[in-house]
Amino acid sequence: MLQIDMTAQVRTKFGKGASRTMRRAGQTPAVIYGQKNDPLTLTCNTKDLTKGLLSIHRRNAIINLVVDEGGKSSTRHVITKEIQTDPVNDSLVHADFFEISLDDNMVFSVPLKYVGKAKGVDMGGDMLISLNKVTLRGKALDIPDFIEVNVASLGLGAEIACKDLAVPGNVALVGDVDRVCVGVSGAVEA
Amino acid sequence: MLSPKKVKHRKVMKGRLTGAAHRGSSISFGEFALKAVGCGQMTSQQIEAARIAINRKIKRTGQMWIRVFPDKPLTKKPAETRMGKGKGSPELWVAQIKPGRILYELSGVDEVLAKEALRLAANKLPFPTKVIYVGATL
Repeated sequence: MLQIDMTAQVRTKFGKGASRTMRRAGQTPAVIYGQKNDPLTLTCNTKDLTKGLLSIHRRNAIINLVVDEGGKSSTRHVITKEIQTDPVNDSLVHADFFEISLDDNMVFSVPLKYVGKAKGVDMGGDMLISLNKVTLRGKALDIPDFIEVNVASLGLGAEIACKDLAVPGNVALVGDVDRVCVGVSGAVEA
Repeated sequence: MLSPKKVKHRKVMKGRLTGAAHRGSSISFGEFALKAVGCGQMTSQQIEAARIAINRKIKRTGQMWIRVFPDKPLTKKPAETRMGKGKGSPELWVAQIKPGRILYELSGVDEVLAKEALRLAANKLPFPTKVIYVGATL
């Protein structure tokens, strides 16, 4: 899975007024929470945070967040839980980070990437894509960025189901494994 | 043109537009979008005119989504009528647009073409808009 580094400082001022002052000064309020540690309120540099979040936009990614806690710094592995933006100018308002453990199993939604041209399409069939994402369970670092599905061998009436996908060994599919991902429907005879 | 199939009340009160659009303010389907920056009312004729402007530019390649629907009836009194005697008859349908609302989305076309198509659509609308795209907005 994609990994990026970011930095943040612990925040001591709370509330609407303090947050607005912070935003005017180029800082974005954020919070980090998880199952093991207590929640921590943070501030991040808006420019760096926006740049980092845009680089992982709409993808699964682990953020190695270096938190400066008044002199001593610690690294936490987080994923984005919620990003609040201004509806008009699309600027960052607040970020929620969820702390994860790299050793625990988690569930992620992974996109499917279809490559090649199906044999059946050349024979007059139509390729029907039913799934664009699958759900995988595993350790965060073992989860792939995407799963490549080669459709070149698909003939007329052939299908690829979830169980046929090339999923890494230490990762398990969640849900119905017989569900069809892509198929080529046969040409209708006149 | 777009209009509701059936309504609960034929005539509604004018109302006021305040605040920003929090719902429908992010790109959901396509890669490029036209976002309202000001507020106003978008009539079904304007929605259709902008749709046609986009379609003529992209020559029906790619895919387009219309993210607004005119669900509010506007009434008008006939010309040369004295005031009073009740509210006028429904004449047109409008969508009320708050700043931040996504109006149209496009995908499957290149960036230059999409921006030009959305610019042409924006010229049909009575409030300021901007073009946004996935990868440049969170």
